[in-house]
Amino acid sequence: MPAPTIEELTATVFAILRDEVLSAGSDFSVRSNLIDAGLDSLAVTQLMLSIEESTGVWVDESLLTPENLESAETLAALVHERIAEG
Amino acid sequence: MPLTGADCFLRAFDDETRRVAGANHVSQLVLRLGPGFDVALFEKLIDQVARAQPIVRAPIGRRFAVGAPVYRLGASSRGAGPRVRVAEADAPPVPDAVLPDLFADRLNEALSARRGELLRFDVVRYAGGAAGSDLAASWLHMLFDGSGSEIFIGWLDACFRGASRPEALPCPDELAPAPRPEQTLRERGDAAIAWQNWLRGFTAHPPHSLAGPIRRTRQKLHYARLRLTTQQTARSVEAAKQRAGFLTPTLFYLAAAIRAHHAVFRARGAEPGSYVVPLAVDLRPKGAAKAMFRTHVSLVWFQALPGQVDDLDCLIATLKEQRLAAVKAGQVENAVAAMDFARFAPNRLYSHLSRRGFRGELCSFFFAFTGDFLAGVDHFLGAEIRDGFHVAPVPPSPGSCVAVSLRGGRLGATHTYQHGVFSAREHEVFRAQLERDLEG
Repeated sequence: MPAPTIEELTATVFAILRDEVLSAGSDFSVRSNLIDAGLDSLAVTQLMLSIEESTGVWVDESLLTPENLESAETLAALVHERIAEG
Repeated sequence: MPLTGADCFLRAFDDETRRVAGANHVSQLVLRLGPGFDVALFEKLIDQVARAQPIVRAPIGRRFAVGAPVYRLGASSRGAGPRVRVAEADAPPVPDAVLPDLFADRLNEALSARRGELLRFDVVRYAGGAAGSDLAASWLHMLFDGSGSEIFIGWLDACFRGASRPEALPCPDELAPAPRPEQTLRERGDAAIAWQNWLRGFTAHPPHSLAGPIRRTRQKLHYARLRLTTQQTARSVEAAKQRAGFLTPTLFYLAAAIRAHHAVFRARGAEPGSYVVPLAVDLRPKGAAKAMFRTHVSLVWFQALPGQVDDLDCLIATLKEQRLAAVKAGQVENAVAAMDFARFAPNRLYSHLSRRGFRGELCSFFFAFTGDFLAGVDHFLGAEIRDGFHVAPVPPSPGSCVAVSLRGGRLGATHTYQHGVFSAREHEVFRAQLERDLEG
């Protein structure tokens, strides 16, 4: 199976955040700040579990810096990087 | 309206505290205010809130003595409205970490959930208020949890400023019954059993608290407050980020609390068994309006063996590993299922079962890290908030609790403990170790 593109990953991460992890309003977008949107340590771990389920990649918590959690886009870029590293 | 599973967990220990220690499981939120606090207006506001929100004086009990406990909102008119008591003093206590004795006394007085005595306030005014005031909100830990009490205080101030009203709640649907879980009864049963089995794994190395197992003794709680300077706090916050990760600074503070207790065990020449500590996890929906009333938490339990405690980084790594494993295994959700089932258990049975695995001990100590205290709220009813924090309650066994939070760029740790559990020398050992570790 080909590796997902960064756009596909962004859409996946955004959908998980919107539908499963956050109770965000309609103004929540792929560029919204995740910490401001209410993401906390428990939500992040649940997010990582959902990402692992859909991509097969586990992102270690030590990689989750404020910069990587800036938005769904930056987080997807990190996941993409991890997939590329195999 | 039903109590949550977590409310019932706390209710069981409230009942136990009443039976064996003659007091209640009363939590406290303390505000240290500058001049300008309007007591008369505060009393009026509390009266309006009590009329508009029946839950603050709703008797709690089981319908016909069976089933899960409920807030009897319809009977709230028979409940006792929150009292506001005002005391006068010449000057604030010195140094500024010392609190009025009256506040500690309130932790050891009885409140009655059956009669709807769920909340009370004490105000100590210095020089008639010109030199500031201290305010303590004391509540039975079934009305709010820590986060809820902060939302309540922020909401009271919003009412004072006209930004909200006593009839309007911050979270519109919070007095509705909890939605039915998506899991089937069988799935929830399996989840509860999984949680029980997980905890049973800790019994191979049962904890010994500094107070020892449960025994009949009068509850007499004291508290001591450690407040770091802004420079120390900056170092502490950075150390927590670097050593535990910016998302889980809690584990850094938990590790510091474990090591402070360990220092006392060593000074005493006693054996801690292992350190077993429950940590509350906020279950409120992320990014949505926050519910104020009732307890919305799950519990994640940690265990550290004495050999894992000597090195701070090793201890933090152990806690991080356990946290991740617990979340991955679904123990946060499993705990909710278990606590939901346990709502139907009689209080005495509930607390007996909770302590049975550890031979009368519940855990090593209680711990909480609540982050920025009242973030974004600078004033309360016209007075500047100079400091504010939680005083978390603890039953005579385990007899020790550490609550850590930030306010005004300063980290504070409030240590609540049962009289006689720490000698004066042990208290110094505890405080010195805690301060050293908090600074990283």
